[in-house]
Amino acid sequence: MICYLCQNPTTPDTTWTTFLAPTTSPICESCEAQLPTITQPFCQRCMKPLDTPVLCQDCQTWTAHFKEDPLTRNISLYRYTPFTQDIINRFKYRGDYEIINAFQPAIQSAYQTHFQPKPRRTLKLKSHQRQPQSPTIIPIPLHPDRQQDRLFNQAEAIARQINQPINTTILTRHDNTKQSKKSRHERLASHNPFTLNESPPDHILLIDDLYTTGTTLRQAAAFLKQYGAKSVESFTLIRS
Amino acid sequence: MNVSPLIEDMARKFATKRLLKSELNISDLRLKYLLKHNYLTEIPSIKTTFGFTTCERCFNRKPSQFGKIPRANHTPIIYCKHCIQMGRTSTFEPLYEWTGPPPSRHRAKNPLKWRGTLTPLQQRASDRLIKSIKQNQNLLIDAVCGAGKTEMLYHGIAHALESDKRICIATPRADVVKELAPRLRRDFPTIHQAALYGGTTEQDINSHLVIATTHQLLRYINSFDVVIIDEVDAFPYHHDNMLPKAVNRATKPTSSTIYLTATPRLKQKWLINTHQLPSVSIPARFHGHPLPVPTKQPIFRLTKQLEDDQLPPAITDWIHQKQTDNRRFLLFAPTIDLAEKLSTHLDIPYVHAASPDRLHLIHQFRARNLPSLITTTILERGVTFPSIDVAVIQADHHVFDEAALIQIAGRAGRSAQDPTGDVTFFYDETTLAINRATNYTIRKNLEAKGSHS
Repeated sequence: MICYLCQNPTTPDTTWTTFLAPTTSPICESCEAQLPTITQPFCQRCMKPLDTPVLCQDCQTWTAHFKEDPLTRNISLYRYTPFTQDIINRFKYRGDYEIINAFQPAIQSAYQTHFQPKPRRTLKLKSHQRQPQSPTIIPIPLHPDRQQDRLFNQAEAIARQINQPINTTILTRHDNTKQSKKSRHERLASHNPFTLNESPPDHILLIDDLYTTGTTLRQAAAFLKQYGAKSVESFTLIRS
Repeated sequence: MNVSPLIEDMARKFATKRLLKSELNISDLRLKYLLKHNYLTEIPSIKTTFGFTTCERCFNRKPSQFGKIPRANHTPIIYCKHCIQMGRTSTFEPLYEWTGPPPSRHRAKNPLKWRGTLTPLQQRASDRLIKSIKQNQNLLIDAVCGAGKTEMLYHGIAHALESDKRICIATPRADVVKELAPRLRRDFPTIHQAALYGGTTEQDINSHLVIATTHQLLRYINSFDVVIIDEVDAFPYHHDNMLPKAVNRATKPTSSTIYLTATPRLKQKWLINTHQLPSVSIPARFHGHPLPVPTKQPIFRLTKQLEDDQLPPAITDWIHQKQTDNRRFLLFAPTIDLAEKLSTHLDIPYVHAASPDRLHLIHQFRARNLPSLITTTILERGVTFPSIDVAVIQADHHVFDEAALIQIAGRAGRSAQDPTGDVTFFYDETTLAINRATNYTIRKNLEAKGSHS
C-alpha cells in the first residue's frame, strides 16, 4: 500500500487483529494524525468551529438575507489548515486526481451517518409509512472551459467517492470567474452563476470541495429551492 | 536567414526544451499557428508500449506512480504522479518541442572577470577540465570538502563560453543554486544567466549559462554542450535513476559531462578504476591545511541511554567543553525525533527538512548569532559555516553512511583563518561507514602531503 497523501509505502503491523480482519487504509498513520477533523463545538448549520454550539454570525446573516436559509445544513470533514490547503492545492490546481481516494472511507462514513436515511425498524410496513428517500447527489458544477483545463470536476470527484448514483445534468454553470480570486464582498454580491436544465428533485445533497463563505452553495440551494426543491443540504470536504 | 522577431523571440524561449502548454504560456490561437507551420511539434507525454506506460518527461515506469482520471463513456485519462510538481503530464496534455529555426546567441568575449589565483592542485584540475571540454569528454573531479570547487570551474566555464558553448551547472539543492547564482553573476557579468529551481521566476531565454536544480533538466532535450553536475553522490542523483537519464537527454550528442564529488560511490569508483571515466583528484583544501580527522568515541549502550532519555556524560562533557571554549558547533542527529529530544534536553534549537524556520535558523547560525545548532542530515553538505566543530550522535545509525560522515566531517575547519576543527563521532557499535570515513580523511591527508612534496 502506498499512502495517497505522502506517497510513502505503508506497512501495517502484523498482529492477530490485522491477520484475522485485514483492514486497508488509503492513508498512512502520520498523515491521518495531521488531518484536522472538525469536532464539537461548531455552528449547528455550517459546521464552522466555534466556542459554543450555536448558530454562527454568518449563518445568522444568511438567514436574515434570505428570510429562510436555503441551506438546511452543511457537513464538512476537515478544517482549513496549511496541511489541508496543501492537499487541496495538489488536488485542484496541480490536478492530482487520485488524492481524493485518500478520503474515501471518511466520505462514505460521513454520508452514512449524516445523509443516508435510516430504515424504519417497524415490524410491518404500513402503506402510508413510506421509507424515507435518500437525497439526490448533485456536485457543484464547473464551467466547461475550466473542466477542460483541469480534466475533471473536483466536486464530482468527491461525489463519486460516495458510491451512490450522482446527478450532473440538472445543474450547469455559465459564470467563469474563479471563486478563489474574488474578495468576500465580491463573492456575496455576485449573481447566480448556475443554469437549471430539469426540474429539481425534492431532496438534494450538494457536494463541493471547500466551504469558505458558503456563497456558492447558498446560490445553488436558493436557485434549486426557487424551482421546487423541498430541502437542500450540503457536504464539503473542508470548512475554512 | 530572415526570421520575424516574434518567431525569434519564441525560438529563444522554447528551443531545445520540451514544455507543457501551460509552460509555453501562449494563446490557443498562436499555438495552433505554430503547430500548423511546424514551428512546434506535439509529443505525447504518456506513452504505452506493450502494456508498459512511460512518462516521456520523467521516465517514470512504475504503475503505482500513474493515476487515472475517469471520464464518462471513455477510457480514463492517465497522468504521471511522479513529476506532477512540474505541471501535469497526461494523455491529454502533450509536450511541445520547438522545431522552428534555432535561436541566435551573441558570443561572449573575455567573460571571466575574476582575478583570483588557484592553488597548484586547483590549477591542475582546472587545466584538466579545459582539456575535457575541448575534447567533449566526460570528467570526474574528486575534490575533498572545502577544496574550492567553484573557483576551479571558472576557467573551464570561461573557455566553454568563448567557444560558444551552452553550459549548465546542475546541483541537487535549490539552496545551492541560490547561493551560487549571485557569485557567478558577479564573476561573469557580461553573459546571460538563468537560475532555475522550483518556484523561481527566472526564465532561461537561451542563456549562456544555466544554474539549475537537477530536476529542471527534465525540461531540456539536446540543449547543453557542457553539463557540470555538483555532488553526484548526493541523495536525488544517486538515488533516482531518472536523473542520469535526464542529464543524458539534456546534453547534446557530442558534449562533455563533468561530475563533481567529494565521495565517489561504488559505481563511479568502478568507472574510474576501469578507465571508463577520466578523473582528477584534489586531496587538499584550498587553504592547504589537512582535513580534520574524526575522533571516534564509542559509548557503551548509547542507543539504550538515548531511548531512556539519558544523555551520556561523554556527550554533555563535549558540549560543555565547547561552550567554555566559546566554540560554535553543530550536532548531527539521525532522526527528527532524536533531534527534538536533544533540543529540549540541551536547550539548543534544531532544524530538519520540514521545520518552518529552517532558513532563519541557518541564517542566524551562519551570522554567528547562535552558538550551536542541532540538525538532521539536511546540513550534511553544500553549506559552509566558518570555524565550527561538529559532533555526530549515533554515528552508527544507518542514515550516516560513508558519504554522509565524510561530508559531515567536511563541515569543520572550512576557513583559512581557522583551518582546524574538531569532529567527533559518538556511537555504540563501530560500523564500516565510521571506519571508512575516518580512513578516508587519513588517506586524503597523506595523498595531499605526497602531492605537495
